[in-house]
Amino acid sequence: MFQATRFSRRKRRYELLARAVLFLMTLLIVAPLVLIVGYLVYQAWPILSLDFLLTNPRNGMRAGGIWSPLLGTIYLVVISLLVATPIGVLAAIFLNEYTRENWLTRVINMAVLNLAGVPSIVHALFGLGAFVLFAGLGKSVLAASLTLAVMTLPVIIASTKEALAAVPVPFREACWNVGATRWQTIWHVVLPNSVGGILTGVILQVSRAAGETAPIMFTGVVFYKAIKEGDPFAYSLFGQCMALSMHLFTISTQVPGVPKALPYGTAVVLLGVVLAVNALAILVRLRLRSRRKW
Amino acid sequence: MMQRPTARRYRLILTIGLLALALLAAACARSRGRSKAVIQDSGSDTMVNLAQAWAEEYANVDSTVSVEVSGGGSGTGIAALSSGTVDIANCSRRFEPEEIAQAKKNTGKEPRELMVGFDALAVYVNKNNPLNEITIDQLAGIYAEGGKLTKWSQLGVKMPNGSDEIICVGRQSNSGTYFYFREAILGKGRDFRLGSRDMQGSKDVVELVANTPSAIGYSGMGYNTPAVKQLRVSKAAGQPAYAPTVETTLDHTYPIARPLFMYTLGEPTGAVKKYLDWVLSDAGQKIVLTSGYVPLPKTGK
Repeated sequence: MFQATRFSRRKRRYELLARAVLFLMTLLIVAPLVLIVGYLVYQAWPILSLDFLLTNPRNGMRAGGIWSPLLGTIYLVVISLLVATPIGVLAAIFLNEYTRENWLTRVINMAVLNLAGVPSIVHALFGLGAFVLFAGLGKSVLAASLTLAVMTLPVIIASTKEALAAVPVPFREACWNVGATRWQTIWHVVLPNSVGGILTGVILQVSRAAGETAPIMFTGVVFYKAIKEGDPFAYSLFGQCMALSMHLFTISTQVPGVPKALPYGTAVVLLGVVLAVNALAILVRLRLRSRRKW
Repeated sequence: MMQRPTARRYRLILTIGLLALALLAAACARSRGRSKAVIQDSGSDTMVNLAQAWAEEYANVDSTVSVEVSGGGSGTGIAALSSGTVDIANCSRRFEPEEIAQAKKNTGKEPRELMVGFDALAVYVNKNNPLNEITIDQLAGIYAEGGKLTKWSQLGVKMPNGSDEIICVGRQSNSGTYFYFREAILGKGRDFRLGSRDMQGSKDVVELVANTPSAIGYSGMGYNTPAVKQLRVSKAAGQPAYAPTVETTLDHTYPIARPLFMYTLGEPTGAVKKYLDWVLSDAGQKIVLTSGYVPLPKTGK
């Protein structure tokens, strides 16, 4: 009944073109990720095994596994998050729930945002000055973890504030109107409704803490340290440790005669840890969101 | 009570978090309770692989001691020792008198020097480079400020790919290798020419030479790979040239070899002394050889 006019045909053509271009661009985003992961896994395939995870580097780091750097990275990430999470989340609650916008909070917020943009090598120098030398911790797991904590803190504050701000204000008003205090409101209404977002923000910091090399190189990570295989308590807080990111750097630039699969295997494990943790963050968020009734 | 199930879940998460915290605290207490003796060993990048090999083997010799190895360059080790933050500084050159004075001033103790082996500094060119020999003077002409040699043709070499420009590869200025090369080849006080590519690690030098047909570089003899060639070096034109080997290093016919040192603050004691004694033992010296360095002569001990 309706004849396609020239105008409507052109409209359809442009629509198809737009769709194709946009789709292509989206593919372009995904392609590097797929290529990188695929290439890494392909190169690392011969070496990947449970043994690779659970044995120390051997034969001048030209053979064996990555147990000592892997455990070191786990130590650094866990301790830094244990320090940064309570401070960051509590500070964000205060900033979002207790304060009105005034010059002081504006200054604090600005400081947080700027701190988030500080390059990691500057954090490294700060950690060296503040924790290693001034606080007298020496180069140690603790000093390195604290440096990482300082680095992740601003992002945790920012993401927590965002999660809290996503809880609609009428929820709070309803709670206050039945006589609840601010803290009761936070504890019973705001936090239960924002815990998903808060956790996601915190978990995403795992990948940052695990991947950084500069801050920990200055403050507590060594080229090599022999530890007991399979013993999860092999490092102490006041000793130094190895770390995956640093290990990857040393075996690819410092040690001659390293088989090609070894650095790739290390990279795959580092990437695997980060992707697994990110997947966990997504799962947590999905689960908690599915319970949300608003 | 719409938030009831969420609230319960959220308290569960909080409890799990607290439990994890307690567990970790317990773990830390536990690992502190039976901490091993730790030896901190830091410095020369030339020696870092050797130090690592020693540390790895020593874990099998004495399981109550753990050796922490880090690199950074001889200068890094010297600075760390003179601020008292490490037990052993690995050094591919001797401490300067000022550095000894500085360490004494900071810590009240005199740095003690221990020779642990030798490193022959090899001159590397790409494997396709037809050059086989070089003299110290020629090296100075290539590397020194104001040196006359900038083209391969000046050395009588025709490069197979036609690129005539000599690309100098060197080390960063806090490296002991840089320091030694400057002293041995250029002479004290003379500076490197500008435009040399200063690399962060010994392996980086060799890799750049392997990938650059017209490059020349210096690095430890243990870093040799099939993609590069070590030149024979002679003291002066007309004199015999020698390749870097264990023998030519020990009988001093190879002209650019240097001793490797480990420094401690004061006379070493306890675990550090035991470790250094082991380093000098036959078992320790065997690792020097397998790591690509030259062990101390047997009679010298």
